[in-house]
Amino acid sequence: MEHAITPLEPLLPTALLRACADGGANRLYDVTEGERESFLPEFISGDFDSIRPEVREYYAIKGCEIISTPDQYHTDFTKCLEVLRNKIEEKDLQVDMIVTLGGLAGRFDQIMASVSTLFQATRITPLPIIIIQEESLIYLLQPGKHKLHVDTGMEGDWCGLIPVGQPCNQVTTTGLKWNVTNHRISFGTLVSTSNTYDGSGVVTVETDHPLLWTMAIKNTHD
Amino acid sequence: MIADQPGSLKYCLVILNQPLDKCFRHLWCKALLRACADGGANRLYDVTEGERESFLPEFISGDFDSIRPEVREYYAIKGCEIISTPDQYHTDFTKCLEVLRNKIEEKDLQVDMIVTLGGLAGRFDQIMASVSTLFQATRITPLPIIIIQEESLIYLLQPGKHKLHVDTGMEGDWCGLIPVGQPCNQVTTTGLKWNVTNHRISFGTLVSTSNTYDGSGVVTVETDHPLLWTMAIKNTHD
Repeated sequence: MEHAITPLEPLLPTALLRACADGGANRLYDVTEGERESFLPEFISGDFDSIRPEVREYYAIKGCEIISTPDQYHTDFTKCLEVLRNKIEEKDLQVDMIVTLGGLAGRFDQIMASVSTLFQATRITPLPIIIIQEESLIYLLQPGKHKLHVDTGMEGDWCGLIPVGQPCNQVTTTGLKWNVTNHRISFGTLVSTSNTYDGSGVVTVETDHPLLWTMAIKNTHD
Repeated sequence: MIADQPGSLKYCLVILNQPLDKCFRHLWCKALLRACADGGANRLYDVTEGERESFLPEFISGDFDSIRPEVREYYAIKGCEIISTPDQYHTDFTKCLEVLRNKIEEKDLQVDMIVTLGGLAGRFDQIMASVSTLFQATRITPLPIIIIQEESLIYLLQPGKHKLHVDTGMEGDWCGLIPVGQPCNQVTTTGLKWNVTNHRISFGTLVSTSNTYDGSGVVTVETDHPLLWTMAIKNTHD
């Protein structure tokens, strides 16, 4: 079975459901000053050690659901995905993808925790989850064949394949400038970074173990 | 790794292509040898405006697709060695470590550690490339290599037993153990708030993040596979 995905497709349309994980609500609150009522999440979940009291109060008054997830053995992000999955089921929504903003900068342990959540996510939801911050996107490819459409015009210059959790002994790619064929990709032998595209608009990746895809998002701020 | 007395640690400094933190001045003046990897020279050049002559690296190496021409020229004129390392199958950082190792041998320097600034922020693939270089580094030099940027530090623990002294007073609140590259099936720790004993640490089962210390000032880690230690550096900018 082949999994097909267009990683940057979500940058075009709008979200069905929006949530903040703990301090994510602070970020939303601060950046939407003056127009906060147009940016109300359906829910905010977390252990609430980061959200500011006035932020929590504001969104509670405005009708956003405030869901406490105190479990200290999982991150706010992981727990937020669980709540989200439940909401999607309750509302019987048809969802193609979960888009996550943040998680790829700042404290190194929390960057790694974001990656770890992608591994945890397979037991929470079958939906693909992408994480985006600044110019970077990451997406965990499960074992099997994948087809990535990279012709939205919003792709940046670089991409890579990162065997974060374990060696991938049999990796085959097409569509990259530097492809591999039945090659071992692992920390210590070969990690694909600063790769790029061959211009065909499609990348295929076949892997025997989970392999993290990462790519640049074109800077459209100019 | 304990220096004989505070401040006597002998280390070399490598600067990568990321904004330089304020601590770089302190790290610079006590380093035995200082190098920039490609665009790291831009960062050094920009942050030392007005006092550049006091911050001249011994060498700048790389494939030079990032260093600005005027920056390269400036340091060349000032006598810094400009070493081209064009190999596209290794990062500028990895290649810089090879050059550094050669310099250390040529100069017969006694070095305890290599300190790297940058590499933990920005492009996600390049953050991962920094980690990858730590894996490559064991075939380049036996010296411990730490990478520091902003409040984060990373250091790759090889299989075996490690003792980390975390009582300098400069440790921040958090720490973690990240099994990058492969599961670690038998990990035992002491000195952390949440220790493990003969536990499997791997992406998919358990990754130690947002951990902290038990106050003893020492952390021990025993691991059967390479395991990335990460910790906070206290913010001294206040």
